[in-house]
Amino acid sequence: MFRLDADKKVHFCDGVTRRDFLHAGALALLGLTLPQFMDLKAMGAVNPNKDINCIQLMLVGGPSQLDTWDMKPDAPASIRGPYKPIPTNVSGIQISEIFPRMAKHADKFALLRSVYHTAAAVHDTGCQMMQTGRLFRGGLESPNYGSVLSKEKGPKGAIPANVLLPYPIGQLGGNLPHGDTAGFLGKKYDPFVLNADPSDPNFHVPDMLPPDYIAALRVDRRRDWRNMIDQSVSYFESSQDAKLMDSTFNEAYTLMTSSKARAAFDLSQEPEEVRKKYGMNRFGQGCLLSRRLIENGVRFVTVNMFETVFNEITWDIHGSAPFSPISCMGNLVGPMFDNGFTSLIEDLDQRGLLENTLVVATGEFGRTPRINPAGGRDHWPQCWTIVLAGGGIKGGQVVGSSDSIAAAPRDRPVQPSHVAATVYHALGIPIDVILATPEGRQVRLVDHGFEPVVELFS
Amino acid sequence: MERSFLRRLSVVVALTAAVAAWSAAPSGAQSTVPYHSFDKSESAAQTWSHGQASRPVQPVSAHAVPNTSPLTGIRILPSSVSLAIPLMNQRIVVEGTYADGHVADLTAQASIRCANSGIAKLDHEDFVHPEGNGHTLLTASFKGHSVSAAVEVTNFSAPFVWSFRNQVLPVMTKMGCNSGPCHGAAAGKNGFKLTLRGFDPLTDYYTLTHQAIGRRTNRIEPAKSLILLKPTLTIAHGGGQRFPVGSPEYQVISGWIAAGMPPPKPSDPRIVDLEVYPHQASLVPGAEQQLVVMAKFSDGHYEDVTRWAKYDSGDEGVATVDPSGHVTMHGYGEAPVTVWYLSHVTFARMRIPYPYQLDEAVYQRAARQNYIDDYVLAHLQQLHIPPSPQATDAEFLRRAYLDAAGILPSPQETAAFLKDKSPDKRNRLIDALMKRPEFVDYWAYQWSDLLLVTSNQLSYPEMWSYYDWIRSSVSQDKPWNQFVRELVTASGNTLENGAANYWVIHRNPIEISENMTEAFLGINITCAHCHNHPLAKWTQKDYYGMADLFARVRLKMGQPAGARPGIGPIFRDVTVYSGTSGQYTDDRFSDPLPPKPLGAKALPLDTTVNLRAYFANWLTSPQNPYFARAVVNRVWKNFMGEGLVEPVDDMRATNPPTNEALLAAMVKDFVAHHMDVDYLIRTIMQSATYQTSSRPTEQNIVDQKYYSHYLVRRLPAEVLLDAISSVTQEPERFDSYPLGTRALQLPDTAVQSYFLTAFGRPIREQTQESERSSVPTITQALHIINGDTLNNKLRAQGNVLDKLIKAGDSDSQIVTYLYLAAFGRYPTDRELIALTGHLRTAEGVKVKGAMNPRRAALSDLAWAILTSQPFMFDH
Repeated sequence: MFRLDADKKVHFCDGVTRRDFLHAGALALLGLTLPQFMDLKAMGAVNPNKDINCIQLMLVGGPSQLDTWDMKPDAPASIRGPYKPIPTNVSGIQISEIFPRMAKHADKFALLRSVYHTAAAVHDTGCQMMQTGRLFRGGLESPNYGSVLSKEKGPKGAIPANVLLPYPIGQLGGNLPHGDTAGFLGKKYDPFVLNADPSDPNFHVPDMLPPDYIAALRVDRRRDWRNMIDQSVSYFESSQDAKLMDSTFNEAYTLMTSSKARAAFDLSQEPEEVRKKYGMNRFGQGCLLSRRLIENGVRFVTVNMFETVFNEITWDIHGSAPFSPISCMGNLVGPMFDNGFTSLIEDLDQRGLLENTLVVATGEFGRTPRINPAGGRDHWPQCWTIVLAGGGIKGGQVVGSSDSIAAAPRDRPVQPSHVAATVYHALGIPIDVILATPEGRQVRLVDHGFEPVVELFS
Repeated sequence: MERSFLRRLSVVVALTAAVAAWSAAPSGAQSTVPYHSFDKSESAAQTWSHGQASRPVQPVSAHAVPNTSPLTGIRILPSSVSLAIPLMNQRIVVEGTYADGHVADLTAQASIRCANSGIAKLDHEDFVHPEGNGHTLLTASFKGHSVSAAVEVTNFSAPFVWSFRNQVLPVMTKMGCNSGPCHGAAAGKNGFKLTLRGFDPLTDYYTLTHQAIGRRTNRIEPAKSLILLKPTLTIAHGGGQRFPVGSPEYQVISGWIAAGMPPPKPSDPRIVDLEVYPHQASLVPGAEQQLVVMAKFSDGHYEDVTRWAKYDSGDEGVATVDPSGHVTMHGYGEAPVTVWYLSHVTFARMRIPYPYQLDEAVYQRAARQNYIDDYVLAHLQQLHIPPSPQATDAEFLRRAYLDAAGILPSPQETAAFLKDKSPDKRNRLIDALMKRPEFVDYWAYQWSDLLLVTSNQLSYPEMWSYYDWIRSSVSQDKPWNQFVRELVTASGNTLENGAANYWVIHRNPIEISENMTEAFLGINITCAHCHNHPLAKWTQKDYYGMADLFARVRLKMGQPAGARPGIGPIFRDVTVYSGTSGQYTDDRFSDPLPPKPLGAKALPLDTTVNLRAYFANWLTSPQNPYFARAVVNRVWKNFMGEGLVEPVDDMRATNPPTNEALLAAMVKDFVAHHMDVDYLIRTIMQSATYQTSSRPTEQNIVDQKYYSHYLVRRLPAEVLLDAISSVTQEPERFDSYPLGTRALQLPDTAVQSYFLTAFGRPIREQTQESERSSVPTITQALHIINGDTLNNKLRAQGNVLDKLIKAGDSDSQIVTYLYLAAFGRYPTDRELIALTGHLRTAEGVKVKGAMNPRRAALSDLAWAILTSQPFMFDH
């Protein structure tokens, strides 16, 4: 707990009084565990008309379409795989038995079953395209959706507009960027990366508050003096990193002085049963944290389900080491997703937040229709399914379909650029917005010719 | 379009043996044809070019100024035309040169005539067509200038058949048929599989002529061949229309089919060179420039392959290029436009000089210390960028310490250096620095990053053995080729021969060959694991042939020494030796491939030669075009902040250096000096380029890659932490290392340190420059403000502040000391007055906590200094 020396009246540079610091220890009283719809509305987190937020769940590894949301029970065993379809609460829509909780909420989400991409079938390209809508070429790195949203709308108060949980995607084998940064928009719009595991019992955002022995007055004068000294190198301005260091310090101070921002990251304010409902694992707690962040003014949250596909159980079910076996979908990865995703949808819905929060769950590609000799499935960018909910998405429907073995889209083929157009459409950002690179080159937000999948919204 | 080539071609559709002259194929004929309807994300770049006159000049950067420099001459590119193949034409470009050095593509405006139309004719699309054997003259004139080019036509009536290897496959490559997303995919597409980018002509030949019960090619009625019906969308094609009926593409393929589909022969001429015109050009904003690309073949003939070459711009902010080789200039700077045809790559440097009128004297007067400066200044002059003045002694001193040894000069050293009046003091300082143990620590750390020294993969004694070998190599200034050779050929007990640990970390032949090329050649060949490299010339055969070189390495494991998560058990006391036989086999190839270094001669499969020694000879040879380049570029980046090639581990022909002449000269010098890394370091540090001020001028502020001024950059994680420890005189504690061990002395990056991780220390899992990061983040700022690393050092009893206070120093003396220690300079009078004033006020304010007000105020000042940008940056 942070204590203040109460004998002096202190203001921080940005006009925040020490009372904010003082309240730091009493945050639990703010308890945001129950629906406080009116309060949230007043804070601007809920505004059904305009401000749409987004949570993107990156299902790193690439879930098999055939074992999740596009099952082919009539196909031969070598194709349909070990899992069976189950009915959902929407007649006519079936999903895999590995998602029993999700099946009870099919009215709230839509399935897009005809997504494909034509780039190299490596994890990196798919991550890139599913988070930016574009394959990087000619030295041009396109910005992540959250970075664009952050640039177009700015942060709501002290909390960053764009947050990435829990860690950035690491090595996926292709040594290419993953599309989780602001790219040519500049590092200023990069997401705030949590870099901590929310399922850790001691989870907290590292270094959020000054230590006990540094009084607020000292925090303040340190900051003043630092600014003074920095003036001697104002010419550093031409360096992007120097400018960025300035803004990271400013953001850090803003974050420190906002009790609301700090509370947003405080999972201990959630009752134990809520935490358990999401699953006491990294992904589950990441979903829970994403909900808290949206409630507190974050506009865009990326939750990476995994950081690598090597030596870890993931969606990357090649069936042989160092990758995952197909059985993990039923006993580990599937339940992990089912609990995290479903709890998130339930909570957002219960709080009235679903209508202005788009939730997109997607992998970077699908898997081979035919089971390989190792009993797994390999990379297959030619066809896969993504799940969308909230933010104006009409639930209870399937858009697009695949052929009899889920090898290729049968109708309504959708590329990553279409998905990007759809996300931006939901977020209320016109897809023909022109962005400028640092060199002054003009780049359309979404390439010409790619329109949103409007059926999803009707 | 007047010359409706589609209309003419409707006649030709039914053509069989009689192949219509390609001369009917103006390059712009496809204006109404979507070139690439399959992947729309590329559509923006796929506009076809026409005669330049009809092309609207795009509005570019707002600060574009009209160029009024007078025209001094014109030339024809290429300077002579030789048409030796009846169906082939030659595209020409008329280039104007202006007094200020810029050029412009005047082809559309110039009047161009051919003296004898019986020999050659020029069409509206600026192609010269052969009409009959003989010599004639092509003359271009524009605004009173005129120039001629000789035209020679031979073989005009000789029988001619398109070559499968040299023409048919390149056409299919250009049209994207054998690209990764289409039939070049590892699994092919819809039952039709070509080799990626046509790397295996014989296989493709059989696929096209024999597979699918021969339906793909119909020599009786070529127009009914599937490979013509599909891409023209005459019948359904998943990939959409790639080219229309009657297009030049169509004619090449149909002509080859009609001629009986001659197979690729070993005697086919092979491409030996690729030339592009103009090879380099300074243009004005908004300018457009058509490139002309000539392929030279082993039988001496040239072909204009402008239409079939693939293009890519290295910097689309400066220049974009469309599929016909038509370049449009956008912003100031320089972009390499790479050109790819068959297995050859070349590039054209297209630049827009900055809009400054600079006197020649700017460059003549600029400081020059060695040849590096000549190359850098010549390049800056082409770009109209002035260099910044030289750095002050204080700036140079701090920078030299940080870049060469990763430490700050002590206040005493700084004071002495600033006082020294001798003219050679900078060179003497460089020599002295290079003799320091910290210099050895620093470079041992760099090479440990490269060679992945970490206890995550090795037992502790082995990690130390590996590290000690690296460190002692650096301290002996072992030539780079010898260092690498020792590593490559290392055998024996890993505790005795530290270099042998490389072979414990890298055990799989595939992984070894990937790592060797990445670490020592700066080449990433990983792509070729699954398919030929799409951006470089490496094929799968190269890849697996190289892996075979490492198939005979054997390990004898000693005692288990624990396990590492994600890696598995590790061992102590391992012995590395070479077996006398053994092959790497992969399912992709029915037989093992002979061992073969990249682009070198293969050994017979049953060779008894020591394969690692053979590889080491090839790898470290001065003739290896990549080996010295890779390390020179890495060392250059260490000092200059930006490699001549970026990223440093992605050197390939399609990613050319920003200053090829400079890199080539440094490589030559380095090789001539027996690959002495210390010599290279000294040469770079002595250059005026390295010693340029980091203060940009108004006219070079935009430059981030041509070295007009020193690029400021955040200190690397380890250097920053050591600098904080040295100024506060409070060493960092690292678990199980003696107190006083600096971060740069750690042999291991697995040592726990929140600070080092947050500031981007590499984990040494993969040899990749990008493992290290210097991007500022909120996490770092929070740690600096609230975290315990810096705060604990500032409040520790007996730290530098306590010592200064105890010595009775005044505030003014303490500020001066801290400035010298942290910034390597004295505070200015103004700074001193302002800071002591603030201190005096603060020292009168009581704050809760253990310290007295003065100590608290001084801690806060030290904090402000140690978190300020002049401290956290190298400048």
